Amino acid sequence: MIQPQTLLNVADNSGARELMCIRILGTSNRRYAHIGDVIVAVIKEAVPNMPLERSEVIRAVIVRTCKELKRENGMRIRYDDNAAVVIDQEGNPKGTRVFGAIARELREFNFTKIVSLAPEVL
Amino acid sequence: MLAALRSRVFAALSPRLAPLRQLQRQQQAWGELLPARAISFSMAPGKQGFLALEEVVKVLNDVKAGDVRVIPVGGLCGWTDHMVVATGRSTWHVKQKQKGAERMLLPSIEGHEGGNWIVIDAGPVVVHALDEKARSYYNLENLWAAEKSPELPSQVLSLLLDSENISIAEY
Repeated sequence: MIQPQTLLNVADNSGARELMCIRILGTSNRRYAHIGDVIVAVIKEAVPNMPLERSEVIRAVIVRTCKELKRENGMRIRYDDNAAVVIDQEGNPKGTRVFGAIARELREFNFTKIVSLAPEVL
Repeated sequence: MLAALRSRVFAALSPRLAPLRQLQRQQQAWGELLPARAISFSMAPGKQGFLALEEVVKVLNDVKAGDVRVIPVGGLCGWTDHMVVATGRSTWHVKQKQKGAERMLLPSIEGHEGGNWIVIDAGPVVVHALDEKARSYYNLENLWAAEKSPELPSQVLSLLLDSENISIAEY
């Protein structure tokens, strides 16, 4: 359940370290975003000497949420943190590697690029 | 490239796909063709995908995609069996491979707009078509070839440590 003002970790090596959600893309008046949703976010904290800087507005895909993700077989997946991967307008990831475990639902939401960069797919 | 792949698949599967012709939307086709996979998320049932690996490689060579590399990743990542990485000569070339494609035949095609990285996700085989720059930037071969050896965890660790070091130094 990501909503505007939520702080998220960054799960890639793009150079951002902490994001704040400012808008959920998709439909209007949408309250919460979940895994696989695209958000507009602001970089609150960045790694020095990297292309991305603080207070830059970017797009990101949510890859992990504390709120559990339900699967049809009854499995529920929840993570310890809320994390997102920075993407550009075309959906290409800004970083070259994704860290941590990622749900395979992302593949069905057409984020195969992110899935293929990830070390572990749940 | 994509057009070629599509026609090849279509020829191979036309009896099966004929009733699906009227389905214009990719999502519908996906649901119809892959009920088990789409619903249960298990990638294992029946390893038959849309494309045979040999076919893919042959088609890629036919359209003069550069430096085609097949990486078997079955034991490593669990969500697919083979990754095929190929280079297009230019953005136009990468893009041209999918121009005019009806999207219903292949399960999932991603990256139409940009044209520097197009992924064709056909279940057990995932084809990555990249241009020269994107290929060296993302370095997919290294990721999946290196994962075979036990180096990668340490690589990632060192990468993480590096970024940590930078930040510590900065503070």
